Amino acid sequence: MMLRKKLTQGEFAVLVELNIPKGVDISELVTHVRHLKSRIDAVVIPDMDGGVMRMSALGGGAVIRREGFEPVIHIYGRDRNRMAIQGDVLAAQALGIQNLIVVQGDAMANSDHPAAKTVDDLNELDLLSMVQSLQKGLDLAGFDLKGKPAFFTGCQVQPIRDDKHLLEEYEKAKEKIAAGAQFIVVPPVFDIPAYTQILNKFKSLKVPVIATVFMLKNVGMARYISINDPGSGLSDELIGRIRKAKDRETECVHIAAEMIRSLKGVAQGVKISAVGWEDRLPAILDCAGL
Amino acid sequence: MITAEQKPLEEIIAYIEPYDRIFLVGCNECVTVCAAGGRKEVGLLASALRLNSMKQGKTIEIKEITLERQCDPEYVEELASDINRTDAVLSMACGCGVQTLAGRYKEMPIFPAVNTLFMGASESQGIWAERCRGCGDCLLGITGGICPVARCSKSLFNGPCGGTCSGKCEISPEVDCAWCLIWERLKALGMEKRYEELMEAKDWRPSGGGGPRKIVRKDLVL
Repeated sequence: MMLRKKLTQGEFAVLVELNIPKGVDISELVTHVRHLKSRIDAVVIPDMDGGVMRMSALGGGAVIRREGFEPVIHIYGRDRNRMAIQGDVLAAQALGIQNLIVVQGDAMANSDHPAAKTVDDLNELDLLSMVQSLQKGLDLAGFDLKGKPAFFTGCQVQPIRDDKHLLEEYEKAKEKIAAGAQFIVVPPVFDIPAYTQILNKFKSLKVPVIATVFMLKNVGMARYISINDPGSGLSDELIGRIRKAKDRETECVHIAAEMIRSLKGVAQGVKISAVGWEDRLPAILDCAGL
Repeated sequence: MITAEQKPLEEIIAYIEPYDRIFLVGCNECVTVCAAGGRKEVGLLASALRLNSMKQGKTIEIKEITLERQCDPEYVEELASDINRTDAVLSMACGCGVQTLAGRYKEMPIFPAVNTLFMGASESQGIWAERCRGCGDCLLGITGGICPVARCSKSLFNGPCGGTCSGKCEISPEVDCAWCLIWERLKALGMEKRYEELMEAKDWRPSGGGGPRKIVRKDLVL
């Protein structure tokens, strides 16, 4: 339970987000995570990330645990009803997974299985209450459990579009904390002063706040984010910096590392999303002095 | 038709408690047929609410009206002349009617007086049963006119589960096993082969999986 300890003691935590395979070949996942030995505090595993059907976060979490890392798995209500989620959460604990992040699933229509039936039995607040109930030894129908789980449970806020939206997400985060969330993960913003303002707003809720560092991989990706996510604070200057660089890939690694360094005094931890560049994670950590 | 049942009186009273002048609006369509929110039910509910307010020592003004169709903007317009002389509207239509009123009279609190239940048919006097879930991709042509989505408790698509017993569903001896009904019907029609054909996993997009549904008939749009 190093993550809980670090975050509650006010130490800076480093989390990396790893996607699990669409299939059963876990060799890449295992290789990537082994290169991070003793360098990170936890591995965040999204469930069906981006609406893509793949190995479940529960399975991925078990693999990561087996490798000696501390997994943090996402749970959400789109694909499973309250029976299935409770069962998975209990299984997670039995497999050594002690950290959860309650998130909102993408719309099924935007998934790679758009014909699937949406479940949405429990929303984020319901899920947080569910974890609380399980920890008290009761399931959602009020029946006793044989052995109570103990989780360190976080929540996630949506990408912030503007000041008005920040207030809305702040209010929602407040509700999530009241429902049992113990830390907050904030989506990435590439403008550090703007991000600092957002992170400080959430810090006022008195739970650890984790910033996200999202790996920009090329000019096209940066442009896409800048156009489609106006709240991302991704400036033309930053895009230009990648474009003008002699070695663009190395420049992207430097940008991610700079962001980590800048956020060290602002957030309680960072979650690094390498989005396919998991093999560059050691270089990013080197560059960030971690 | 869309079926509904009146909400418990206490819930309705709680909704309108802060208000003195209520517009009680019924609908002449489905909720009239299933005796939940037609002219007669509007009258009965109005009387019950007046009686309750008298018991509380309060005076309440209830204006009763039953529209031809509450889910149609044309008929909802009939309320426009009197809406400013009321504090809140209590709708006895299905959820479609309540939302049509709320969409038209945006400044007015609109409350439902019924719970909308299902799309069903009358089995006999006073009994309505679910027949359709509006899944958007009708299978009745291959299931002998009996819907496995609405009438099988598990919405199974390829025959009954192990819980079927003497033509009844495992959830209750009162509930027919939809797949027994389908089999008997296909047999009677000499269409047993249809039963052998395996149905693929259903595409739930037409059922609302792609978000709220809408029909746009360009030939009818003005």
